Amino acid sequence: MPFETKLALIAALIGVAALAGIYWKAQTGRAKLVKSGELVDLAKLQATKNGKPVTKFGRKATVLQFSTEVCSQCKQTARLLSEVEAKHQDLLHIEVDVTNRLDLAAHFKVLQTPTTLVLDSSGRVKARIGGAPKPATVQAELAKLEI
Amino acid sequence: MTKPTPAGIDPRGPRFGASITSVLLLITVFLGLDAATVDAAFYLLVAISALFAIGAIFGLSKHPYGLLFKKFVRPRLSAPTELEDPRPPKFAQAVGLFVASVGILLHLSGVEFGVAYAAGAAFIAAFLNAAFAYCLGCQMYLGLKRLGLFRRG
Repeated sequence: MPFETKLALIAALIGVAALAGIYWKAQTGRAKLVKSGELVDLAKLQATKNGKPVTKFGRKATVLQFSTEVCSQCKQTARLLSEVEAKHQDLLHIEVDVTNRLDLAAHFKVLQTPTTLVLDSSGRVKARIGGAPKPATVQAELAKLEI
Repeated sequence: MTKPTPAGIDPRGPRFGASITSVLLLITVFLGLDAATVDAAFYLLVAISALFAIGAIFGLSKHPYGLLFKKFVRPRLSAPTELEDPRPPKFAQAVGLFVASVGILLHLSGVEFGVAYAAGAAFIAAFLNAAFAYCLGCQMYLGLKRLGLFRRG
């Protein structure tokens, strides 16, 4: 194979990888509106918080974060969301590890972690954030629920 | 939740390793495109696979790049703002090992450019990790598990 062809192929390979990275950066952590979202069933979720089962949604909103053991960005997302939670009384942050709850992963169609669902006061899904969200994105979604 | 979380690692460590790996994989692709140099590409891919195996079995802190990072790079950097769970990058090393092994098998069964295909695929993953901190192997974990391709824990 001529040297120039090989160089062109190498350049194309780097280009494809860079485009994939730029595309991922552009779409990750964005909030997507969920129209007529489902009502989350806490009994089915069986989430725990500080060792106690979660039986109530946040008064105005709940952020439901799905994580796995093997997730490089779940921890920082959990920290961001608990920081926001600490500032707002009416907000609840729930984190569910779906590593061994594949039923939940399938039910909520979780393909990547972290995936965060923003729920209103009744527990209805209003928005979905795939990937690690930026603080401003979280604030903007919560503002829609008057937080 | 049942197992204690292992001690965190500096997230820049895996990215440092991924940059070296992506350069090596790019060289492998280049050499793998020519019949005259394909043997060298094959041996390079075998060496890269061995390095992936060390990372997948013993974790990145015991990997040569991890040791290099700890000894020479980290002392020159400021303290990390946060530590990362070592399990995701360890899993990603296993995915890298799988892809590189496919290249080795393709080459041994006489498939032309088998080494270049596999090294090219692995390069994309390593490059995304190094340049964008995107861990493709980690992202695949849940999908693979949902497909029931492996059991763990």
